[in-house]
Amino acid sequence: MPGSIGCPLAHLGPRFCGKIVEPVNPYLPIFVMIALASVICIAMVSLSWLLGPKKSTAYKESPFECGVAPTGSAHERFPIKFYLTAMLFILFDIEVVFLWSWMTVFRGWVEKGTPSAMYSFWAVMVYMVLWFLGDFYVLRSGALEWEESKTLHPEKFGKAVDEEAPYVQPVSEDAA
Amino acid sequence: MNLGDAPLTPAPIVWEPMLPMIIVFVTGVLCMCVEMLRPKQTNNLIVVLSLAGLAVAGALIVLDWTAAVFHQPPSEFFGVRFGGSPEEAGGGLFIHDRFGQSVQLILIASTFITILFSEGYLRERRIPFGEYYPLVLWSAVGGMIMASTRDLMIFFLGLETLSIALYVLAGLNSKEKRSQEAALKYFLLGAFASSFLLFGIALIYGATGTTHILGIPMLMNHASADPTAGKILIGGIAMVLIGFGFKAALVPFHMWTPDVYQGAPTTVTAFMAAGSKAAAFGALVRFVGAITQPELIDAWLPALAIVAVLTMTVGNLIALAQRDAKRIIGYSSIAHAGYLLVAVVAWAHSRGSIGLDTVVYYLGAYSITTIGAFAVLSLTAKAGREGTQLEDYNGLWKRAPFAAAAMIVFMASLAGVPPTGGFVGKLLIFKDALDQDYTWLAIALGINSVLSVFYYLRIVFAVCVDEPDERRSQFAKPNAGMLTAAGACALAVLAMGVFTSAVLQTMGLSLPAESGSASRSVAQKP
Amino acid sequence: MTPEFWWGTLRALIIIAFVLVGVPPVIWWERRLLSWMQDRVGPNRVGPWGLLQPIADGVKLFFKEEVMPAAVDKFVYWLAPAIALFPAFVIGATLVWGPNPMLTPVADVDIGILWVLAISSLGVYGIVLGGWASNNKYSLLGGLRSTAQLVSYELAMGVALYSVLLVTGSLKMTEVVARQQAPLYDVLPWAQNWFILTPYGFGAGVIFLICMIAETNRAPFDLPEAESELIAGFHTEYSSMKFAVFFMGEYAVMAMFGAIFTDLFLGGWSPLPLNWDYLSAQASAAHLGWLSSALSFIGGAWMAPVWFIGKVFFLLTVYIWIRATLPRLRYDQLMNVGWKFLLPFAALNFVLTAVWMLFGWLAFGIAAAVVAAGYLMVVGFVLRPRAFKDAAKVHLVDVQANTAQTIEVQR
Repeated sequence: MPGSIGCPLAHLGPRFCGKIVEPVNPYLPIFVMIALASVICIAMVSLSWLLGPKKSTAYKESPFECGVAPTGSAHERFPIKFYLTAMLFILFDIEVVFLWSWMTVFRGWVEKGTPSAMYSFWAVMVYMVLWFLGDFYVLRSGALEWEESKTLHPEKFGKAVDEEAPYVQPVSEDAA
Repeated sequence: MNLGDAPLTPAPIVWEPMLPMIIVFVTGVLCMCVEMLRPKQTNNLIVVLSLAGLAVAGALIVLDWTAAVFHQPPSEFFGVRFGGSPEEAGGGLFIHDRFGQSVQLILIASTFITILFSEGYLRERRIPFGEYYPLVLWSAVGGMIMASTRDLMIFFLGLETLSIALYVLAGLNSKEKRSQEAALKYFLLGAFASSFLLFGIALIYGATGTTHILGIPMLMNHASADPTAGKILIGGIAMVLIGFGFKAALVPFHMWTPDVYQGAPTTVTAFMAAGSKAAAFGALVRFVGAITQPELIDAWLPALAIVAVLTMTVGNLIALAQRDAKRIIGYSSIAHAGYLLVAVVAWAHSRGSIGLDTVVYYLGAYSITTIGAFAVLSLTAKAGREGTQLEDYNGLWKRAPFAAAAMIVFMASLAGVPPTGGFVGKLLIFKDALDQDYTWLAIALGINSVLSVFYYLRIVFAVCVDEPDERRSQFAKPNAGMLTAAGACALAVLAMGVFTSAVLQTMGLSLPAESGSASRSVAQKP
Repeated sequence: MTPEFWWGTLRALIIIAFVLVGVPPVIWWERRLLSWMQDRVGPNRVGPWGLLQPIADGVKLFFKEEVMPAAVDKFVYWLAPAIALFPAFVIGATLVWGPNPMLTPVADVDIGILWVLAISSLGVYGIVLGGWASNNKYSLLGGLRSTAQLVSYELAMGVALYSVLLVTGSLKMTEVVARQQAPLYDVLPWAQNWFILTPYGFGAGVIFLICMIAETNRAPFDLPEAESELIAGFHTEYSSMKFAVFFMGEYAVMAMFGAIFTDLFLGGWSPLPLNWDYLSAQASAAHLGWLSSALSFIGGAWMAPVWFIGKVFFLLTVYIWIRATLPRLRYDQLMNVGWKFLLPFAALNFVLTAVWMLFGWLAFGIAAAVVAAGYLMVVGFVLRPRAFKDAAKVHLVDVQANTAQTIEVQR
């Protein structure tokens, strides 16, 4: 147990040992920490500007491309798979976030043996089954295959209903 | 503190009334699994599965109407309770009433018919993705959720389930620029509208302290209510109505409709025009039903009435100038949203003295008619291409006389010509509007109906009279699914026109005094 | 300003000082150990055994000219290294390194583990912004790769932690450590229940360790840097102290992740998975007074930081060891590992933990067997992932380049 094994500050009085002394706002030290960390971080990125020499040349200022003069903008379009990854992350993250509240109460319910334990367990299991189905679907549909994009298998089109028009891949149509 | 210390026991959840939704949802999951397990085979199994699931769900609702199958004595099975009072379905989040079930049934029927003619169309468009079916089914589940809840969070959940699936579906034909445009436009505007809705929900929650819409009348009835809360509430209601108005394509939130209807694959458009609209109006009715206080009614009903007139007029006038069949139906769907809004306004104004039968009846007639029309319109898809200009339909009567005949029935119903469902629906709206002294609304409706005849006739002429241009008119051979869909829709539209009282009685939504039926209507209460 | 505030500030300063002081020895140790493993000498001129080499390098970098290329996005270019270093300092805010509540953790808040996950994902901003702002194609590619890699592994990392959370029932780091000081398997009173010793915790620990290496961009997951193909990736255009800040951030985060792993899976500050209090009581019951006091000293508060730093040092050695052993993965292999193996296994581990908590060991075993069989079936018949086919062929992408990897402090 915290505080129960020999406290080095015991001579300062009972309020320092044995029982966790809560500050007025338990988050206060975190804010202090954030302030200190921000100051240090900003100081560190700014210091070299003060300390270092400043002799800039056109060659130094050009972007590094292995000695070749850069062509075009560096802010190019990038593969759509990155967007897909980001969307999947948000999706799964939100799905799992729903479980946080359950996880903090489940142990208490199990220890007390309330019916809520069993009930909520099965509810979460149903949720997890859907979660796994979603996960399998994502994997199965090739959302995370980096070289492939999903195209429909020819079998999907079934038998040709109309013989005079053989089935071809979809054509893009930009009719105004 | 550990939340596990709280003495929580599972909230009693009554599952049966949610069964149709659960069944449709699970069917979607199964369809996805089938697609996942055999991606290199046709979608036939998926189609059969979806149709079966929808049929079971629909049959359950009808069974509940006739035999009250959802009213079971309470029982427990593995810690999960079944049975009990169906009014508390889903732990009080869902309501089990005739109105909700009627809208659910409309949604199920719309999805069923859409799926019937989807596979042929998708193959002709070269986009037979197996994912199409689960997405349509989940979208339908979202709509069903929207129609059968009174909790704003669940409204939102349903709306998002409905919308997100539709965003994907609208862009299904990702190789075509117009489909991409439709998807992106729908997504951006839809997300914008969702944020309106969500912000409105937040404001309502801030004012009333609950996400249940009955919090609104409770707050307003409370004599010592904080006046600021009332103001916040008004803002919240406005924003929620904007959100629903977008989904239902009411003017001035209609801009997306024609582009999306034109760009999306025709089957998706069909589902959007019918299912999405039914869901949006279901939710709108629930929401408007909660605003029963005189102060609020004075604030909102005139606005809604003006929106109704604007919607039908703008929709009809712009439709007159269109040359693209899908766009025409798109604008016509805006106009029909205006007609429906008249029914909603009259119902809200009556404060329970007239039933919801008009709304549901019109919604049903409109949905079936529109889906049938789109089924016929889908015939121009061939070999990966699809022409939707009016000229592209010239000569359809030669190639597919049956479909052309069905098209005449659908156009007659949309225009409101007897003996079709559309005619009776409009008649019911007229009656309600006149009952509630909304004569000007009734007159606007009448003028607009006459206006709309022109463009419906234009489609009929294109399909049945004009000579085909051999270079333009290419039709796929009508397949069994499409013929069944169009035939069933045509028959249903005619049957709704002929056996009106029987249909109304089965729905059981009219008030006892009017219909003489003993069935109790829950939905007419807020 | 209450005394509590000053104690809190002291706690924060301890962690920050640990990061600032700890990084040079870590760099030295990496260079020395790597040299020995590669049969080289390594830095041995500045100070005894070359110990002062990293400090000399740091001082040199401070006084180097800062080359800022033309056409960079100046503000973002300046900010990116700071963002990359920032998480290293604050990620330890919930870290427990000893039993004394006055000195550790900085803030014993309810969001302990969540804080770690949240802050660790901040690091990606520094990298992607640096890559974007540099106006260099290599940097952009490195930044993109890094983003995709970090988000992929972060997911698996978060899910791996779920079994720890489930068993602890709390996100507090102190409670996670306290749970590990319970009797082993809740039966053996003399041993501690370190999570790495339990089946579910072992699975989670292995996944966490792999994700941890990937999160810190270390070999074999150092694709964002990949000097042989991307010329150091996102920090190609950084020089002088800005480069050093990126460099320092990497090593500091390594050390902090080592500390977090120690807390989450290696039982915190106890040197061995033994219950020192219990053993000490047994010894005094056996009238072995000296043994009793020795045992309680070993498990006591004074020795806690020593053991804790020792464990962190051990994990850092593991890092270096892995770097010296394994060649770099190809990009698609990297993503495959993250999404197809780590994430599903982490989720399965979570499910199995819940089964164990509710139904006990037998059900756990049965469920694990079912899961294993199911996984084989899924892999064999359904997924057939390409990675398996790839695994048959040996991809020694650039073993040579990787083993000859030296730290580019001279740049």
